[in-house]
Amino acid sequence: MKNDDVVEVSLFDWRYFYPVLFIFIFLFTIIIFNGMINDWGRLSNGIGVFRTFLSEDVLPPDWTVLEPLTYPVCTVEPRILDFTCSRAWIGMIETLKIAFVATVFGTILSLPISLLAARNLNTTEVSYIARFVLASFRSFPSLIWGIFFVILVGIGPTAGVLAMTVYTVGYLGKLQYEAIEGMSKSPLEASEVMGLTKLETAFQVVLPESANDLISQIIFMFEYNFRHGTVIGLVGAGGIGLYIDTAIKYLEYDRVIAYLIIIFIVVLIMDFISIKIRSLFTEEVGHSRPKWREVFFPAWMIKR
Amino acid sequence: MLFRNPSIPYKRLGSPKIIIYSGGDLLEKDLQQNEPIILLKDMVIGYSKEEPLVQIPNLKIYPGEIVAIVGPSGVGKSTLMKTIAGLVKPISGYAQVCGKIIPESPLRGKLGYIPQDLGLVKHASVIHNVMLGANAGHNKSIIPFIPIILPSLKAKEEATKSIISMGLKEKMYEPIKRLSGGQQRRVATARTLAQAPELIMADEFLSELDEETIAMVIGEVIEYIKISNAALLVVEHDIARARIMADRLLVIDDGRINPFITEITAMEVEV
Repeated sequence: MKNDDVVEVSLFDWRYFYPVLFIFIFLFTIIIFNGMINDWGRLSNGIGVFRTFLSEDVLPPDWTVLEPLTYPVCTVEPRILDFTCSRAWIGMIETLKIAFVATVFGTILSLPISLLAARNLNTTEVSYIARFVLASFRSFPSLIWGIFFVILVGIGPTAGVLAMTVYTVGYLGKLQYEAIEGMSKSPLEASEVMGLTKLETAFQVVLPESANDLISQIIFMFEYNFRHGTVIGLVGAGGIGLYIDTAIKYLEYDRVIAYLIIIFIVVLIMDFISIKIRSLFTEEVGHSRPKWREVFFPAWMIKR
Repeated sequence: MLFRNPSIPYKRLGSPKIIIYSGGDLLEKDLQQNEPIILLKDMVIGYSKEEPLVQIPNLKIYPGEIVAIVGPSGVGKSTLMKTIAGLVKPISGYAQVCGKIIPESPLRGKLGYIPQDLGLVKHASVIHNVMLGANAGHNKSIIPFIPIILPSLKAKEEATKSIISMGLKEKMYEPIKRLSGGQQRRVATARTLAQAPELIMADEFLSELDEETIAMVIGEVIEYIKISNAALLVVEHDIARARIMADRLLVIDDGRINPFITEITAMEVEV
C-alpha cells in the first residue's frame, strides 16, 4: 500500500510561543527602564507637584490673550470682531500662513525629487541619490531646522517657512515616492512599450494615476505642518509658538494654558476639515462625490 | 458562435494541420518578400535560467499577418509577449522586433501593447488614455516637453476617430474607473488603434466582451491590420475564437497536451 498521500499531523505550532515572546519583551523593557531611573519616589511626588502647579500657576487660563492689543490700535468694525487684533489670533493666523506657504513650496520641490526617487520610474542609482537627498532633509525634525534658519535669517516667520519647507520636502517626498511605487505596473509597461518619453510618462501616466494619493498626502502634510508650526515658534521661527515662548519666559503659565487650549481647538477643527477633504480623494466613494458644503457643515444643517 | 465579418478580405493559408513550427517557410511568397516584423531565433524565454518557460527555435511574423498564441495557462504565453515587447529579458537567443535587436527598443510608436490588465490610467478620462497612444504614434517631437504643451491636431483627430470606431463616443470624457470591464477593454483597443503601430500585441483583449462587441472590435482591428499592413500578435485562451481571427496559431505546448513532445517548445498550427 502506498502511503504517499498521508500527511503527518502534529499539534506543534510556533504561534503558541508568541505570548511568551511578548511577555519576554515587556520584562526586558522594564529592566531597561529600571536602569535609567535612580529614584522611583520621584514618580509619586509628581502627582503632588502637578496639583500645586495646576492650582497656583495654571488655572484659571488667562483669556486676555484673546483681547486686542493696545498697540497697534484695533480698527476692526464691528467691535465684536476685535479679537482678530489679539495675540492669539495674530499668532494663529501666522502659524497657518507659515504652514500653507511651507506646504506649497515643499510640494513644488518634493514632486520632482520623488519622481526621481521612485524605483519603478528610474534606475536604482538615480533613485538612491534622490532618496539620499530626501533622507538627509528628513533626518532632523523641523525644530532643528528652525534653529538653523533662525541663525541664518534671524527670528521671525521667514525662518519658520524655510525650516518647514525643508522638512516638508523630506517627509512629503518619502510619502509621495511610496505612493508612486505603489501604483499599478501595467500602465507604466504599456507606455514604455508605446515609446513614450520619461517626462510624458511622469506627467500623463504617473501623476494622474496617483493624484488622489498625492493630494491626500499634501493635505495631510499641511495639517502636520500646522501642528508643528505651533512648536516651531519656541525656537524663534514665528507663529503662535513665539508668544508661548515669551509667556513661558515670564512664567505666565495661565497665559500658556490659554494658548494651548486655543491650539488644541484649532488643531481639532483642522484635523476634522482635513479628514473630510481627504475623504473626497480616497478611493471609490461611489458615483456621487460629497459636496463642499458637506465638508464644512454637519449633515443636519444641510438637510433642513 | 462568432463569425468573421465577410466584407473584410484576408487570406486563409492552406487547410488545417498541425506541424512542429518551422518558421515562415510555409507562407506564400508575397509575404516572404517583406522584412519580418518579428524574428526570433533560438530563443529561450522565462524568468530564471533554471526554469525556462518556452523555447522557440525559429519564428518569423510578417506584416499583414495575424498570429494567435494559444496554450494551457501558466505555460508562458504572456511572458513570450512581454519578451517581444522588451519588458522581460530573454534568457538567451536572438530577437529582432520592428528592425531593432532586443534589448534595443523599437522606435516611438511602432509597438502597440494591450496588457492583460489593460494598463489604462484609471483616474483619467477616456480621451486622455487614447491620447497617450495617439501622441506616441503621431506626435514625435524630439524635445520631450513639447508634446505635453502642444498636442498635435493629427493626434487628437486619430484619437477621436478611434474612440468613435470603438463605440465610445458618449463616454469620451468619462473617467476609466466608471466604465465597465468590456468598455475598458475597448478603450485599450482604441488607444492602440490611435497609435497606428506596425505591430499590435494584445493579451486576451477580447475577454469580458459580449459577442456583438467582439465582432465589432475584431472587425476594426483586422481592418486596421489589413489596410495599414501591420501585424497582430494576440494571446487567446479561446481556441475557437483564435481560429476565426488568426492566419496562424502558435501553440505553446508543455507536453501535457501533446504526448509526442517531451521538450517544452513552440509549434505552429495552420488554419
